[in-house]
Amino acid sequence: MNKAAALQANPAAVRRNKVKTFFSKPHNVILLLMGIVLTITTVAPIVAIVQDTFKIHPGTIDAHLTGQVSGYTLVNYIDLFTSPLAKINLWTPLWNTVLLSVGSCIVAILFGGIFAFLITRTNLSCRKYLSSIFIFPYIMPQWTLAVVWQNLFNSNVVTGTSNGLLASLFNVQMPLWWCKGLFPSLIVLGMHYAPFAYILIGGIFRNMDANLEEAATILDTPKWKTMFRITLPMVKPAILSTILLVFGSSMGSYPVPHYLGLATLSTKYVSLNSKYTGEASILAIIMMIFGVAIMLLNQRSLKSRKNYTTVTGKSGQISKINLGHTGRVVIAVILIIITFFTSIFPIISFALETFLPNPGDYSFLYTGDTNNLTTKWWVTSENVTENGMYGQKGILYNNTIWTAFKGTMLVSVSCALIAGTIGTLIGYAVSKNRRSRWANYVNSVAFLPYLMPSIAVGVAFFILFSNKYFNLFNTYTLLIIAGVIKYIPFASRSSLNSMLQLSGEIEEAAIIQDVPWVKRMTRIIIPIQKSSIISGYLLPFMTCLRELSLFMLLCVQGFILSTTLDYFDEMGLYAFSSGINLILIVTILICNALVNKVTGASLDKGIGG
Amino acid sequence: MKKALSMLLAVIMVLTLFAGCGEKPAPTPNEELSAVQQIIKEAEGMTLEELAKKAIEESNGKTFYGVGNSSRGKSALPLFIEYLQSIDSSYTLNFEWQQPKNNKIFEQLTADSLKATGTFAMTLIQDGNQIESKMVKTGVLDTFIPKDWADANNTTADAYEGYLPLQTLNKVFMYNCTGEKSYDNVWDFVAEGEHGLFMDIDSEIVGKNFLYMLTRDDYSTALKTAFEALSAEEQAYFQPTIDAMASEAANLGLTENAKYGLAWIKLWVGSYNAQTDDGPICNTLVSKSATDQFGLLVYSKLRSVEESDTVSKNNIKVAAYQDGYTGLGGYGYCHYLFVTDNSPLPWTACAFIAYMTCTVDGFSAWGKDMGGYSSNPTVAAGTEEKYHHQEGGYVDGVNTFDCKNDRGYEWWADKLVLEDPEYCASVAFTVGSWIEVLDKYSAG
Repeated sequence: MNKAAALQANPAAVRRNKVKTFFSKPHNVILLLMGIVLTITTVAPIVAIVQDTFKIHPGTIDAHLTGQVSGYTLVNYIDLFTSPLAKINLWTPLWNTVLLSVGSCIVAILFGGIFAFLITRTNLSCRKYLSSIFIFPYIMPQWTLAVVWQNLFNSNVVTGTSNGLLASLFNVQMPLWWCKGLFPSLIVLGMHYAPFAYILIGGIFRNMDANLEEAATILDTPKWKTMFRITLPMVKPAILSTILLVFGSSMGSYPVPHYLGLATLSTKYVSLNSKYTGEASILAIIMMIFGVAIMLLNQRSLKSRKNYTTVTGKSGQISKINLGHTGRVVIAVILIIITFFTSIFPIISFALETFLPNPGDYSFLYTGDTNNLTTKWWVTSENVTENGMYGQKGILYNNTIWTAFKGTMLVSVSCALIAGTIGTLIGYAVSKNRRSRWANYVNSVAFLPYLMPSIAVGVAFFILFSNKYFNLFNTYTLLIIAGVIKYIPFASRSSLNSMLQLSGEIEEAAIIQDVPWVKRMTRIIIPIQKSSIISGYLLPFMTCLRELSLFMLLCVQGFILSTTLDYFDEMGLYAFSSGINLILIVTILICNALVNKVTGASLDKGIGG
Repeated sequence: MKKALSMLLAVIMVLTLFAGCGEKPAPTPNEELSAVQQIIKEAEGMTLEELAKKAIEESNGKTFYGVGNSSRGKSALPLFIEYLQSIDSSYTLNFEWQQPKNNKIFEQLTADSLKATGTFAMTLIQDGNQIESKMVKTGVLDTFIPKDWADANNTTADAYEGYLPLQTLNKVFMYNCTGEKSYDNVWDFVAEGEHGLFMDIDSEIVGKNFLYMLTRDDYSTALKTAFEALSAEEQAYFQPTIDAMASEAANLGLTENAKYGLAWIKLWVGSYNAQTDDGPICNTLVSKSATDQFGLLVYSKLRSVEESDTVSKNNIKVAAYQDGYTGLGGYGYCHYLFVTDNSPLPWTACAFIAYMTCTVDGFSAWGKDMGGYSSNPTVAAGTEEKYHHQEGGYVDGVNTFDCKNDRGYEWWADKLVLEDPEYCASVAFTVGSWIEVLDKYSAG
């Protein structure tokens, strides 16, 4: 009896063999494990939120309407969708949220994409400087740009507050739509997320195979046609990823619309939470539904991405467009001016703020008198209240700030390492099983938390881990768990994008040589796509450093820097919040430089050359 | 004799006022007391020193977790430990004081209450409305009335009906006075074209409670009185709104005069310029450029304003301090103290609460600043004696910043709308829902 016949006779052996073959492939093991773990960690918070929409909460509208203090009801849904408050609590915030998310995507992709193109595909001057400076708005907490916006454009006449810099120095009063509401919110968020587009699109521009474009050039194809038929389709996955990331983030952004006075689903979520707790959870569900819809659209395009392999074993040099001697300088100057306002000015503004006698008191600028400057916000070593310090010590002596800094570092490093590794493995495994349903499922379930509004994820984790069995509120463990689940998509998208560009023949060559998987990963795959993979670690790190929406409900003020920063900002103590911003920026720059030194890669590495 | 009489009157006044700051539910005769409630009952008969001894016995070497809306609990705890160490020098206590953001304190306490033994020993919490509906009615928190506090207020733990307030804070109308405009009547703040700076009522629920309270008959009547003091021309502007509110008042089951309260609320909600916190409001108002702006904000914010070329405390005036001002000058709300019903250290919690409410040192974390008034008349007097807030605006004996001369609680009491948790909870879904459908002013 030959072997085939023997196997036919023994179906159990066939199954065993199949299982053995399945588990002999590392990407299958990764997918199976991650699928199980992520299903639990992702589904549990969703179930918690869904359950919350039906629950009766004492002292809230559902308890009032049902006359009960516990149990389950549909009344939250009925009241949210049909009460006279439906327009205020649901429809208007929903519409604003959609406009904000779409607007932020457009601003981010246009700004970041064009910037990436100019940096990577042209001979623009000062590319290195511009590349480094461009990511600054992403380093800074998003609402600090909103605060800078207010400090610049607010005026007594229009916004009914004290004059901002423009009004004070030049008597320029910007219109209301410019100062508050949708427009500034989408500009600020778009600017904040433009580095996303820059990193993702720029990474592909930099790595893409020039052969296709060169072939078009040889065939005398017009440049616009090459751009629309070859270049853009190749960066389409990165554009879609950017849309996915920016849309999800904007939808769940709380602080920017909060500071700039725009009612969105996330701001409504917070304001409804005390009295309309169950209805607030429905808003979270609505945000999730939007996120899932976008993800499904993205998945449809993922299936057709096979044709967009951009890194092959026989790649050549990318060709750069010559902007001309004047063009390369003029465009660089324009970009330097723009980035000055998006990246440098906020930092100068933060630094100046820490030397003002009162928050927002620019007397020094009006009078030139140095008596209107002070170092008290840095060097006050006593807890005094009558010295304009609101009972706080100076930044250098402020225990709250430095304890929060340590906490932030712990959470950020842990999240980056764990989320980065898991995400990279998922990206790799999914790219190897692109057509598999399970791989698609794992990819989706890993991405799902990103699509849920951060606040909702925070609440879900709060509910999950605040019961009689576990009480992890205000612990680093809880922050790390939430951060890892939330940030895996950064790494998995970044990794998947780069792995999809990678032609299978590269790894196949190593497999033929019988090179073990770990060696293939560490010697071939990871080195080739190093910059994207490092981005997968650095993005969670940077995001975690100044994450607020996700963590604000999981810990108290002073536990980590972002909650401390927000506390000082809300209190109007801009000197402290600006000081913390400076600390964050310096920290990220140091970390970026260290990573660059050790690994040769960095967040913007290679994009700028 | 005069001194004794004035002291007696002061005590009666304070008791009357704080009686409105929350009422604890009357226990039914057969109600079984929880372990913590039994300890509280026992503790209510003890002096601070007796409680301190119990606390030392219970918590020496342990960790004490507190949670509160005020960050200053963190400053008060080391003083409390020092006090216990003055009784037993070997005493040590680690502590952690948490200050959750937004409304999370209620969820945090609710979650903690699910455990047999909680993490938090006690809490310092604001917003009587939510305390009543989410914390007290659900049995999450228990009120402890220290004997010394009760004595100072000429009452007893059993006779006193209400929560234990640590202090009352006031939010007052202030306006920038660098221009010509002045505000001499509470209705001026809702006049045509006015947009006062105020913390969004969705962000800080005590602001919403203030609006609820305006519909109670005494405060509505106060608004009516102020309205009658307006000129005929001014009255003509407000009259249509007031008339339109008559039917609303009836629909909401309120008294006839409530139409004045509802009208003021409608005009206020439709006009105030929402801000994230009182800090930015204060920063704005003290600036020279904020001519003719006004705000309703925590009085104590003035303590930290530093003089510069464009910023001065003399750029603002407290409306109620001005001669001829008519009507309410702001509102007051309490910080309440509670022991959690599953407190891991109930004796220590009681001792700490007694220390904060019964001694000047214990209250000093709050008392050192203007605008926070101890609920204990003895402590209030001691605090004033120590910190001289009534002359807080004096520099080298000269009255330099009048707005900082805190007139004190007795002066403010009848000029503030004081939060009554029970009333707030009772109208939260009637008046509250009515407020929510009003058109809000949006500067953006």
